[in-house]
Amino acid sequence: MTTGYHPLVKRLLDGELSLAELPPELRAEGEEALRLVGAADRAPVVLSPALDERVMAAVRRHGASRTRRAWRWLTAPRDVEVRLRLRPVVWAGALAVAAGVAVLLVARHPAPVEPSAAVSRTRIPDSVLVRFVLYAPAARHVTVAGTFNQWDQNAAPLVRAGTGGVWTTTLALPVGQHQYAFVVDGARWVVDPAAPAIDDGFGRRNSMVAVTPRGAHTL
Amino acid sequence: MGLAGDAPDGEVVRAVLGGEVERYAVLVRRYRDRYARYAARMLGSLDAAEDAVQDALVRAFDRLADCREPDKFAGWLFLILRNRCYAEQRRRQREGRPLDERDDGVAAADRPDGTFEQAERMQALGRSLGHLTPEQREVFVLKHIEGLAYDEIAGRTGATVASLKMRMHRAYDRLRDLMKEHL
Repeated sequence: MTTGYHPLVKRLLDGELSLAELPPELRAEGEEALRLVGAADRAPVVLSPALDERVMAAVRRHGASRTRRAWRWLTAPRDVEVRLRLRPVVWAGALAVAAGVAVLLVARHPAPVEPSAAVSRTRIPDSVLVRFVLYAPAARHVTVAGTFNQWDQNAAPLVRAGTGGVWTTTLALPVGQHQYAFVVDGARWVVDPAAPAIDDGFGRRNSMVAVTPRGAHTL
Repeated sequence: MGLAGDAPDGEVVRAVLGGEVERYAVLVRRYRDRYARYAARMLGSLDAAEDAVQDALVRAFDRLADCREPDKFAGWLFLILRNRCYAEQRRRQREGRPLDERDDGVAAADRPDGTFEQAERMQALGRSLGHLTPEQREVFVLKHIEGLAYDEIAGRTGATVASLKMRMHRAYDRLRDLMKEHL
């Protein structure tokens, strides 16, 4: 079993020392170590020209099936219960519980209602009003970005409500599940502590909200 | 020109999300080879690298709506490819199959600057990388093949510089043992 490299030799390999800076008794070991990393194959790798077309063929198939699924979902008939007494606003979480608490508010988007019927069939609303609220007293600028606006950091700014550090905006979101996060001062991504967050698969967390024709709720 | 190949990534991503699916070809052309060497060295063969890059590009399209920062598509795509490479390595470990033998490189002896000894050492290092853990192999590939600094690797992978150095230093020791006949 070969012993490991001396820590100074490892610093040589890391580029933190030069061979001349090693003590003389470590130079042979340093030269050997440089031969090792010098054997790394840095030649460029070029993939088959056919890869582009294979990817685009898959993309076209997936894009088409996604459109078909969305169309089927949108056009499928559904029974929707509409109650005569509409609650104007449903709070989805508590506000001002602690510093840094963000709260998602949900407002029901008015749907066509037949006033004489307690339950009626109606067209599913295309979108539902969802209010986003963030308590961030030190922030200078807050936006909300998510799957509903292609994660555009500038598309949905929140406005400061009074002087208490509460920022808010209301967006009309399409029915479906959405991931989102707040962007504070253009740089810091903040998940909504009032809503469950999921791993986006790349080491970051996104908050989740489900928007249904009857309102919205955090998942 | 609407299909300009030099449009920024963010503009192309937003166009694709807006329904211009064919514009995704711009991103495919732009990134198909950029990460190919990383994938080839991580997986040990050109065929496996091509499969991984292809899958990553298709998966990126499928999840494009989740791309939080379209202007940073390159880094996001790298993470998808990285996950794909790790998954492939875990699958092979479960199945008891080693990484593929190198079949893609041009032997150093065939290169104008190559020597037989250098060619053997290069092939031995390629085989030895397959005996490192995926994390050790990745940091070696990114630092000594892709030429990234530790802080750049940290930015790409989300690991801290301290943990990257620890992995790298363990990799040096392991490689020294594996390569002792060739040094």
